[in-house]
Amino acid sequence: MPDMTSLSVGDRLVYPNQGLCSVTEIKTEEIAGQKLTFVSLVIIETGAKVKVPREKLEKNGVRRVSTADDVKKVVDYLKSDSEKASLDWKKRARENTARLSEGGLLGLAEVVKGLQVLSELRPLPPKERELYNDARHLFVEELSAAMGVHQADAEDAFDILLFVPGRDRPKRTAEEFAGLAGEEDELGLEGDLIGIDGGEEPETPESEVEKAEEGESEGEGEDEEAPKKKPAKAAAPPAAAKAPKGKKTLISDVEVTMPATLALTENLPKKRGRPPKPKPAVAEPPPPPKKRGRPPKAK
Amino acid sequence: MIRIFTLDEFDPALIKALTKSLYTAFGVGSEHSGAVTVPHGQQEPYDANKLLDAMPKLQALADDKVLFLTSRKLAPRKLVSGEAPTLGLSRYGQQRAVVTTATIKNVADNVKLLARYAMQEVGHTYGLHHCLDPRCAMYPQWTPSYALGEASFCTYCRDSSDAKIRTTKS
Repeated sequence: MPDMTSLSVGDRLVYPNQGLCSVTEIKTEEIAGQKLTFVSLVIIETGAKVKVPREKLEKNGVRRVSTADDVKKVVDYLKSDSEKASLDWKKRARENTARLSEGGLLGLAEVVKGLQVLSELRPLPPKERELYNDARHLFVEELSAAMGVHQADAEDAFDILLFVPGRDRPKRTAEEFAGLAGEEDELGLEGDLIGIDGGEEPETPESEVEKAEEGESEGEGEDEEAPKKKPAKAAAPPAAAKAPKGKKTLISDVEVTMPATLALTENLPKKRGRPPKPKPAVAEPPPPPKKRGRPPKAK
Repeated sequence: MIRIFTLDEFDPALIKALTKSLYTAFGVGSEHSGAVTVPHGQQEPYDANKLLDAMPKLQALADDKVLFLTSRKLAPRKLVSGEAPTLGLSRYGQQRAVVTTATIKNVADNVKLLARYAMQEVGHTYGLHHCLDPRCAMYPQWTPSYALGEASFCTYCRDSSDAKIRTTKS
């Protein structure tokens, strides 16, 4: 991180996620008995004004504009065929957000190239398309400032590496990303951990949601058929999810003391209503039929 | 308003078709505002950056876009990562852009490709960047599949340009 203590008016800085800005004023003010030095910045593109204490500049990720060496590193990086974005959208979003705020010029290049390579496998969803555009915009802006050229030249400088002249983009296959996907889901817990860490739920196609809703509505009123329609995941939920609150599950005891058939019947959902009366093992002879009419008078 | 200034002679039908395409794409007025001469000292192939800097100030409003149309070649630009083919050039977020028809074979029958070049350069002046969709006019021009697309934007670029135009209207 370059030194931020030797700032002067007119210096150009990069504010994370905002773009290029210039220092307009450095002033010491007394607030609540404390003397603080404030740096006033103007975002060049939007004209927005920001006033930041000098001590917080580095904490906020404000940095100086990249140098020619950084540009060379970025060009080398873009020439290499190394970047493969993670197929796990949650991990990808986390990484890209961190790169945008802390990664510098190389971080921006990583986001742009990663998403561009991913788009060669499948179209980007709208949110990522927006992220790609934002990253590209910040990247072009900083690159043009670092190289001292117009933005059109800066964008073309890295686009002739990403979109090679005279050649169409290659079609990627899922196998090329498979190595990364295997690392993420080593334990096979990805599906079970959804929602536990407080993260968002994965995107579900609308058609699947509709189908699930239709299934639920059909299942109402057909209590006996409903369990059959449930997916395999519901038939064998994880042990922690089955356990009632405040009680421990004794899976091992069940397995040891119960026969397998009984253990399986334990998992079946109970029928509603009063249980049927137990039938006697041997049927008793029916009582003799009563005679109709008035009983005879006593003599 | 998108104002087209010609640096060389063009068929009026071609210019009319181009203005119509630009109007359809951006939803703002587009017209041929006249012919201008290239400033002294420019030689073919033109250096696009120098040409845009050297062109005289033209009568235009703050939110007008000025597109120069030439039939002469534009020299490829030498950049840090290599040589970039130059079929047009623009000033991002500003007013000026230039497009050449020198690389288009039989322009009269290929107005669609010229419209795509012009749309891209005008799109850059509205702040749009290169797009990932090969069917979109904002896709890089030097790729082989670019010539096969229609004179239209993808949904994302269309929405972006609409938003930019709305916010820049004077």
